Amino acid sequence: MSDSSGSAAVESPEATPPAGGNGEPLVRAENVWKIFGQKADRVIGTPDAELSRSELHDKTGCVIAVRDVSLEIMPGEVFVVMGLSGSGKSTLVRTLIRLIEPSAGKITITGHDVMEADASELRELRRHSVSMVFQHFGLLAHRRVIDNVAFGLEIQGVGKAERLARASEVLGLVGLEDVANSFPDQLSGGMQQRVGLARAFAVDPQLMLYDEPFSALDPLIRRDMQDEVVRLQEETGKTMLFITHDLPEALRLGDRIAIMRDGAIVQLGSPEELVGSPANDYVRNFVRDIPRTHVLTLRWIMRDPRPGEESGGPELDVKTTVKDAVPVAAATDGPIRAVENGRCVGIVDRVSILQAMAGGPEDSGGGS
Amino acid sequence: MQVGGIVLLMLLGYLLVDGDYSWPVSLTWQELPAKLDDAQTWLLEQRTAPDPNFFFAILDGFRALADWLVTALTDMLLWLTWVGTIAAGTLLVLRFGGWRAALITFLAFVSFAVMGLWEESMQTLALMSAAVLLSLAIGIPFGVLAGRSQRFHRTITPVLDAMQIVPAFAYLMPVVILFSVGPAAAVICTMIYAVPPAVRITALGIRGVTADSVEAARAFGSTAAQTLFKVQLPLARRQLLLSVNQTIMFALSLVVIAGLIGGRGLGDVVTNGLYSNAALAILAGIAIVIMAIALDRATSAIAERTDPTRRHLTDRGKRHARVLTLATFAGILATVFAARALGADSVYPDEFETSTTVYTATIHDDLLRWIQDALDYVQDPTSFIFGITEPLGNFILENLLEPLRKLLVDSPWFVVLGGLTAIAFVLSGLRPAITTLLMLTAIGVMGVWPEAMDTASQVLVATAIAVLFGIVIGVWAAESPRVERLLRPLLDTLQTLPQLVYIIPFIYLMPVSRIPGIVASVLYAIPVVIRLVTNGVRGVPPAAVEAAYAFGASRMQVLAKVKVPLARESIMLGVNQGIILVLAVVVIGGLVGSGALGDMIARGLQRNEFGEGVVASLAILALGIALDRVTRGRRDPSRA
Repeated sequence: MSDSSGSAAVESPEATPPAGGNGEPLVRAENVWKIFGQKADRVIGTPDAELSRSELHDKTGCVIAVRDVSLEIMPGEVFVVMGLSGSGKSTLVRTLIRLIEPSAGKITITGHDVMEADASELRELRRHSVSMVFQHFGLLAHRRVIDNVAFGLEIQGVGKAERLARASEVLGLVGLEDVANSFPDQLSGGMQQRVGLARAFAVDPQLMLYDEPFSALDPLIRRDMQDEVVRLQEETGKTMLFITHDLPEALRLGDRIAIMRDGAIVQLGSPEELVGSPANDYVRNFVRDIPRTHVLTLRWIMRDPRPGEESGGPELDVKTTVKDAVPVAAATDGPIRAVENGRCVGIVDRVSILQAMAGGPEDSGGGS
Repeated sequence: MQVGGIVLLMLLGYLLVDGDYSWPVSLTWQELPAKLDDAQTWLLEQRTAPDPNFFFAILDGFRALADWLVTALTDMLLWLTWVGTIAAGTLLVLRFGGWRAALITFLAFVSFAVMGLWEESMQTLALMSAAVLLSLAIGIPFGVLAGRSQRFHRTITPVLDAMQIVPAFAYLMPVVILFSVGPAAAVICTMIYAVPPAVRITALGIRGVTADSVEAARAFGSTAAQTLFKVQLPLARRQLLLSVNQTIMFALSLVVIAGLIGGRGLGDVVTNGLYSNAALAILAGIAIVIMAIALDRATSAIAERTDPTRRHLTDRGKRHARVLTLATFAGILATVFAARALGADSVYPDEFETSTTVYTATIHDDLLRWIQDALDYVQDPTSFIFGITEPLGNFILENLLEPLRKLLVDSPWFVVLGGLTAIAFVLSGLRPAITTLLMLTAIGVMGVWPEAMDTASQVLVATAIAVLFGIVIGVWAAESPRVERLLRPLLDTLQTLPQLVYIIPFIYLMPVSRIPGIVASVLYAIPVVIRLVTNGVRGVPPAAVEAAYAFGASRMQVLAKVKVPLARESIMLGVNQGIILVLAVVVIGGLVGSGALGDMIARGLQRNEFGEGVVASLAILALGIALDRVTRGRRDPSRA
């Protein structure tokens, strides 16, 4: 269905994240809490807030869904929040546009203070700046596909002719022109979620929220859809916040990944950082089965060039994965130069590649 | 087990305590009926005063509105002429409900005509339509609110519960006092009965819209109104139409009883015929049954067919549908004008005249004769049927009803009061027990203790029979899909029939004082009991059943030791619902000589003994609440 090839996705479209640098973040969340239950607001800021989930529940009857989460998402970035079910990731994404009211925290999206927004400002934000793709699609069964895609525009008050034109344009983008007049229940799950994607794209938002969009789909279809997201992101440059419980999916799509557990972020970093240097046993357990050579790039394993090594011999882009560097290393005895923008930034050799394949010293290299 | 103990104690109390301990006069408010009569007179004066106050202005305004609506609808049906009415009904159902439902509708109209009950049928139709329109005008907005707000839902549920516990027969009197006799009173009684299901089903529909769709709408920035009109209402459309269907069925059920308080039409024919012309009453009863079935089929077909989530209408389909609708209305108008131009009567005539001869146009008289023949047969002591019905009726009377009535009426009042309260406490908890105590005390204070206990004995016997057969049949249906398949259409039909219709045949079939009311109430309650029991037994976790079989249990052992015990809650719910349904019909039996509270209301209505009638109404209300609380069980009181 999709024309982008599968393996291309492992190399993220953007270089490693603009972590704390160029420009304003599109989304900034600071110390966001969500506690369900009565008297939930009396927990934050007290020693109770430090209790574990089950302890707090036994003591107060409250359930912590999101615990003191802070994150920034840069324009054009694909930010993935990963965690098992019940880790609070879906709640977190909903608190950002206040589909679920956060208990505490400060949230800014496109420079607007979300927490201070009144009902109509919040609606404006949801109508124009942010759109969302849902796990169970959330399509409207009584409307044709094209009317579903046009729904966001209809809510904005866009005229019928205009919104249908825009909707069919977006349907073309996801390859569903032919089923514009069908109804959701006549489509397969994968196609239904394409409709969900198209509906989110139709309003031309700055930020797209994906709440486990592909969890309900078959593995093969899921892969197709991931390719689709990568392709759409490349074509449109949208900023995306993507929720998943599937680590390969997170590694495939994310520029940066936040791993959540019991409502809190346990590690936030690039795919390489997660796989290369897990912050604790929880994360280590998670990434244990991921083939490191598929994720780590030369940047991760290279050493600084010694004098004289900066020219001659084979060269590879610094973003090449270890796996793809193997054939080159096999064909040469000497060091391989890792280049970025035509300039040599580091050196790898057979030993460092073999070390990476073997599991290697985990804190070797140092990321970027 | 505890209940058994309490009953045993009550029996001992009955046997051991000597002397007359009927409800003491000193604990009775004897002037109550007279006071109520005064109140009624005062109300009448207020209402007819030249310058009524605000409250009465509202009452009167509503009465005028209801009267106007009934008259307008009746006039419209007459203006259409009988030909036009048949065309309008059939074509509309054809367009929106499909040809099957249209055929049933057509046949129903034809049968009204052929039976010679056209005018009465149209009056009933108009009365019912007015009640339905007003019920929906209240029920749907409230239902939408209850569907959207959990808090509103919690607030309104007990009110709806109360409205549905009270037997319809009990609020005839108060309504007559407030609105006097006439179509308006009939409409208002019907609304009390029909609004709760409208609210409930609408709320259910709104709640049934998947949370995903609603959340998606919110995420795209919908306002509350946009979510309601673009997502919730369209997706709930089938449920909304089903709520119309249920409202119609409830309304029709009551419109018939409302014949007693000035609602004209078939109900009037039935209630008058009960005393003067049995065959005519039965014929009108049959017409009501036909109307109930046709309305049910037509409205449920429309609900299914126009469900937008299943009917995938594309642009072309929409245009096509619009053209069909236009054609339908054009066809109706053309028929009506043609009929009027050709001089069709507004009601179906009894005879057609040609230049030479006069043809009888109905088989009214033949039908009446046949029915009379059948009545004569079943009432002939030498007939086969009589040989079954007579002893059966006598058996129930002598071996069940009389002993129980004696026990309840002749026992010392404190034994009964304490016993029932104790049972309520054991089965349902403290608060229901207190409610029971208060309600029973209120009955005593109103001075109708013996009558109420008489009614209670009838209710208990009928409920026992309904529950006994209901459990047996229900378990059987749960075990055998074939039995369930055979049963379903029968139960469907039984559930669509108006309460009064159940009684009519048994007045003649088992003409033994309280028996018709008992048998009718059993028939009225049993479909619900069967359904609850079947669902309960079906709902037993398969794992438990499998485990029992794995230990080598026989089928009977599995039933007795696993399925029925695990279905206990559903069966208890069946008892509770059964008692409420039985009470509703048992008191109507007062019309045909079951005595007790129902009889007081019947007399009140027929002889203008308002005070007594209202007291009986209040006592029925109290009895209904008490019996509901006794059997409610420990389930969540905030059930939807």
